[in-house]
Amino acid sequence: MTVADACIHPCPEGDSSLRRMAVEAGELGFDSIVVPDVTPFIYSGVRVIPAVLIAEESVRAVSGQLRKRGGGQSLVMVNAGENGFNRAVLNLKGVHVLRNLCMTRKQSFNHVCARQAADRGVAIDLDLYPVIHASGRTRQRVLVRSGELIRLYSRYRFPLTISSNARSVLDLRSVEEITLLCSLFGMEEDDVQAALTTVGGLLNPPAPVRVMP
Amino acid sequence: MKPLPPTIRTKKRYILAGIEPPGTGADQKDLYHAIADAVTSLFGDIRAAAISPAVISSGPDHVIIRCTRGGEQDLRIALSTVTAAGDRKIVLRPRATSGTLHALRKRLPQEVPARPEEPAEVHFGGRVYIARRYQGQKVDLMEKGIKRQELLFLTQNDLEEL
Repeated sequence: MTVADACIHPCPEGDSSLRRMAVEAGELGFDSIVVPDVTPFIYSGVRVIPAVLIAEESVRAVSGQLRKRGGGQSLVMVNAGENGFNRAVLNLKGVHVLRNLCMTRKQSFNHVCARQAADRGVAIDLDLYPVIHASGRTRQRVLVRSGELIRLYSRYRFPLTISSNARSVLDLRSVEEITLLCSLFGMEEDDVQAALTTVGGLLNPPAPVRVMP
Repeated sequence: MKPLPPTIRTKKRYILAGIEPPGTGADQKDLYHAIADAVTSLFGDIRAAAISPAVISSGPDHVIIRCTRGGEQDLRIALSTVTAAGDRKIVLRPRATSGTLHALRKRLPQEVPARPEEPAEVHFGGRVYIARRYQGQKVDLMEKGIKRQELLFLTQNDLEEL
C-alpha cells in the first residue's frame, strides 16, 4: 500500500534537498512522495514519484502540455480553474489529478464535475498548505471550499489525494497530523487513509485480468 | 490556603511535542505566544479560553504544553499549524499526551532526538554555512552571519556531491 504526500517542492523551489525530504517523509509515516519534474527513484525506503504540473488557463493549452509532457510514469496534475474549464479537463485522457480547487471560485467544482471525476477516475487534490500557513479570511475560505469538496466526495466518492505542498522539511506533516488537520473540514479518518493511498492506484489503475497463454 | 479537593479541580492534559529543527533554542515565551496565537487563530477566543494552552517546560528539542481535558485534540491540531516561534522557523510535532506531568516526563528520555554533532563550517553556493550533522544522514546548514541567516536542510550524500 502506498501512503503518499501528493505534492512536495524540494530545492530549488524550497530550502530542502529531495533526499532530505524523502528521509523526513519516511520518518513521518509516508512511503512515497510526489515531486514535480524529477526522475523516479527510491531513497531511504521512500519512493519518489515524478509529477507533471500543468498550470494553463485554456483547455487547448492543457491538451498541448499533455501531449508534450504527459504519459510515462509521471503523475499528471492540472491546476483547476472555472467550472467549464474543470469539466473539460476532467474529460481529457491522461489527467490524473485536478488540484488547487480550494483557490478557485465557489461554483467551479459542482456535482456534475464530481460525477465526472468519479466516472473517469480523476483524483481531486486537497491542499493543506493554506490550512497550515494561511490565517484569517484566506484560511476560512479554504476550509469552507474543502468542506464543500468533502460533502461532494461523500455523495460521489471520486478519488481524493492530499498534498502538503511542502517547500521545506518544516512544512511536512505526519500522517497523524494530516488526519487531525483534515478533521477541520469534516473529513473522516478512514477517508484520509483512503486519500493518502490514492496515488499508487492512479498510476496503476485496476485493469481486467488477462490470461496469458 | 486549603487546596481544592481533587474532585473539583479542573482536569488537565499535558502534551509532549518535539521541536524541529532541534537545538534552535526557541524561547519559552516565544513558544507560548506561537501556540496561543495558533489556537486563537484557528478556533477563536472562546475555544482558546476553554483550551487554556500553557507552556510548562521546554528544552532545545521538546516542549510540554498544558491544556484543559477535552481540549487536547484541538490543541494538537493547532500545534500542527505552528510554523514559527519569534523569528525562528520551527515545527512542533506532538509525540505524546498524558494526564500527569510525571507520566509524560517518564517518556521524555526516549522521545528526545539525538543531539547534533559539533557544528562545522561548509562552503556552499559561494556562501559560508555552519553545518550541524545528526545521527544518520541529516545535515542542517545555517548561513554564517548575524541576521536573516538562510537555513538549508540536506543529507550527507548531498554534501558529498557538492
